[in-house]
Amino acid sequence: MTRSLLLASLLATAAFAATTAHAAGDKEAGRLKTYTCHGCHGVTGYKNAYPNYHVPRIAGQNFEYLVAALKGYQTGDRSHPTMRAQGESLSAQDIEDIAAYLAGLTP
Amino acid sequence: MNRLFPLFVLATTLAVSSLAQAAGNAEAGKALAAPCTACHGADGNPTDPQYPRLNGQYRDYLQEAMLQYKNGKRKNAIMSGFMQPMTEQNIADLSAYFASLPGGKLGDLSHPPAAK
Repeated sequence: MTRSLLLASLLATAAFAATTAHAAGDKEAGRLKTYTCHGCHGVTGYKNAYPNYHVPRIAGQNFEYLVAALKGYQTGDRSHPTMRAQGESLSAQDIEDIAAYLAGLTP
Repeated sequence: MNRLFPLFVLATTLAVSSLAQAAGNAEAGKALAAPCTACHGADGNPTDPQYPRLNGQYRDYLQEAMLQYKNGKRKNAIMSGFMQPMTEQNIADLSAYFASLPGGKLGDLSHPPAAK
């Protein structure tokens, strides 16, 4: 009984640690790393050319989605020349930091 | 004048085709949106952070993203599957619907940090 309880609490703790470790981005580091992003995503109404559409709003977007999107530009699952170049310059930690900062913004 | 006529036709065609791409009907989009809400939330704000917020996003960006999932330029197993049966008009309608929802929590970046 005690042993299974101990095992269960160990598992629960491990699961909790894994979840929190997942969202390990550092917001303040991310804030500095978004300097380049402002060139397009910081200009309200700024448009991509050929094809013509608004550059997306990313402030307030969800953390995990932002991480997946940036990794998609890195791997080529998403094709956008500018974002591909940005993605390739980022480490996994950079991506988590940037995503944590952006997800924490409340426009 | 006669020589300019083809140019006029071309310009008119271009203007009309860009208008046609932009037009979407939010009401028609609402009728198509039920499957989307399972992941993206009833109001376009998902509870699971692995899915993006659609509420508050630019209409034409939503449209471009969905077109790219349809044509394979953007790869995602779930979204490619959902976009395959959609026509370009369906995608325009869905974009108009999600962009029309109130309560958006997305914004453009503001106040860039100072360069290091």
